[in-house]
Amino acid sequence: MRIVVFAKEVLDPDAVGAYAVSGGLVVDDDGNITQSTIPRLMNGYDEQAIEAALRLKDSGLECTVVVASIGSDQTAMLRHALSLGADEVVAIEPPEGPMDCHVVASILVAWVASVGGADLVLCGRQASDDDQGVVPALVSVGLGMPLVTLARSVEMPGLGQPVQVVRVTPDGDEKVEVDLPAVVTVSSELGEPRYPTMPQKMAARKVNPPVLTTQELAVGAGGLEPAVVVARQFVPTLKGDCEIIVGEGPAQLADELVARLVENKLIKAGR
Amino acid sequence: MTAPVVVCSWTGIREEPPEETEAALTLGRSVSAGLGVGLVWLVVGPAPQDCAEVAARHGVGEIEVISDPKLSTGLADSFVEAVCRFLGDHPAGLVLFSQTFDTRLVAPLVAGRLGASVVMNALDVAVEGDGLEVTAAAFGGDTRVVYRAATGRPCVVALLANSVVPEPASSPSSPTVSEVPVDLSEVHERVRVLDPARAEGPRLEDAEIIVAGGRGLGSPQNYKLVEQLAEALGGMAAASRPIVDDGWIDSSRQVGLTGKITRPALYLAAGISGATQHMVGCSAAKTIVAVNSDPDAPIFRHARYGIVADCNEVLPELVRAVTQVSDSHD
Ligand SMILES: Cc1cc2nc3c(=O)[nH]c(=O)nc-3n(C[C@H](O)[C@H](O)[C@H](O)COP(=O)(O)OP(=O)(O)OC[C@H]3O[C@@H](n4cnc5c(N)ncnc54)[C@H](O)[C@@H]3O)c2cc1C
Repeated sequence: MRIVVFAKEVLDPDAVGAYAVSGGLVVDDDGNITQSTIPRLMNGYDEQAIEAALRLKDSGLECTVVVASIGSDQTAMLRHALSLGADEVVAIEPPEGPMDCHVVASILVAWVASVGGADLVLCGRQASDDDQGVVPALVSVGLGMPLVTLARSVEMPGLGQPVQVVRVTPDGDEKVEVDLPAVVTVSSELGEPRYPTMPQKMAARKVNPPVLTTQELAVGAGGLEPAVVVARQFVPTLKGDCEIIVGEGPAQLADELVARLVENKLIKAGR
Repeated sequence: MTAPVVVCSWTGIREEPPEETEAALTLGRSVSAGLGVGLVWLVVGPAPQDCAEVAARHGVGEIEVISDPKLSTGLADSFVEAVCRFLGDHPAGLVLFSQTFDTRLVAPLVAGRLGASVVMNALDVAVEGDGLEVTAAAFGGDTRVVYRAATGRPCVVALLANSVVPEPASSPSSPTVSEVPVDLSEVHERVRVLDPARAEGPRLEDAEIIVAGGRGLGSPQNYKLVEQLAEALGGMAAASRPIVDDGWIDSSRQVGLTGKITRPALYLAAGISGATQHMVGCSAAKTIVAVNSDPDAPIFRHARYGIVADCNEVLPELVRAVTQVSDSHD
């Protein structure tokens, strides 16, 4: 069976956060963050989606794991995917114009069709840059597959069997089952992705991931027209009116704080 | 644009917080006024008892109820089918959801089916010229992105909790109520629930007082201090993501972008740096208190009161001080 994982390269959210906090984030007129000092890396949830695919493979399931990504200059990221254990990787050059999640989904749907379909599509729950998390849903509609979100674990008893997913819900874990083909998104609760070994890294370094263009894919009508475009991006301002409690040692600090909480009726004296 | 603004709420298995529905109605009203179009409230699942009252307060013109029993299962296929059929017959300019666990799944599916534009994590929707601009949180809340929606297709927006303060209309309306007949007998749910989630005990989302611990606690054993203070305050214990990921505490305790969105009166964060992804889940707290050994920790930019000290020394003293105060008038 073929397991397809979609991976997105994102700006390191921690670095973006650090610049945002220090007031030094540079955003151009089109809303793009332009700092070249911010590292680019694979979206963490997508790395966990690859991990979910590899765990299925480790469980003895006969499968091919293919990682696909839309973007320019993704060799390093795709080699990382190979070193983790992906069987195949492919890069898709983005189209000329602006991309939104509709455009991304249309391209991915066309690519899946071009390779003869997929049995299981795994994606990260959201990308840590725009946090939108809608591409998996749009892909599932485009491919006519059911969607299961927020997996903590993805298991398959055997080929041809339904896939069993434990979902992270606000009320605790929910176990569901779905027939393949299906789209499943992976949440952080899946756990740490594996580290590539040195030999795996060395082997991956020799591979030049194939690159497709959107012209080579039969993208559906209107599929390259974005439904939303980014008008601008900015860093929100914070109020910042913190009173730092002063006192001699933990006991006094605690008393001072509790006095303020009582004063503001946040906690009641006597219950 | 003449198509109305449709606010869609889903009373599925997990109840949508009424104040979030009202927030969506408040924003929906402002957009419908800006566009000069009607405001429709599409209630999916059993209609809440006070729904006519709430709608009137918010200037809703029409309430449309789709109450097929299949919609109370909380499963996606029936919901998406019902909403897409309704919107197929009654095209909308803007479809507004309040973002919950359930709508996070179905709103983009509806958008995909309708070929609509879609923006999640929205904080605001504004009318700009003849189109809509949607402001959404990005990078875990570190930035805001303003999206311009293409005209000529509907726009589906999911409004982040706590982003709009519910406000009644200046003059109430007298909404019409109609039951929308939708035949869902042919809909086959493709995802089958084998073992449902069982909500155990009180929910963080409802807590009035929350004490949250983070990586600064240093070790799993010290999380006990957080639980003790929560108990002393009559509140609930919560956590940042790293200590959930490391298995110190169950993921149902996680506050933040990928955890719970809370709105307590008091949020006390111990050993939490205040990363935006965490603050998304607690910035609606009336009062935030931070205990952190680093005076430059970002959490102090959100806090009303701060203690710069080792939380493992301060927490036991807070338990003592709180207990003394609570006992003082017994
Ligand atoms: C896409 C995405 C989604 C995310 N979702 C979430 C989410 O839902 N929830 C969430 O919480 N995080 C989330 N994160 C992670 C988030 O970015 C931060 O990494 C995380 O919140 C940090 O947790 P922390 O504050 O406990 O740890 P740290 O950032 O390591 O901070 C520890 C703090 O403790 C202080 N400290 C250390 N020792 C002591 C001591 N003895 N006494 C007092 N203070 C001490 C330090 O000064 C520091 O400020 C997400 C990240 C991404 C990229």
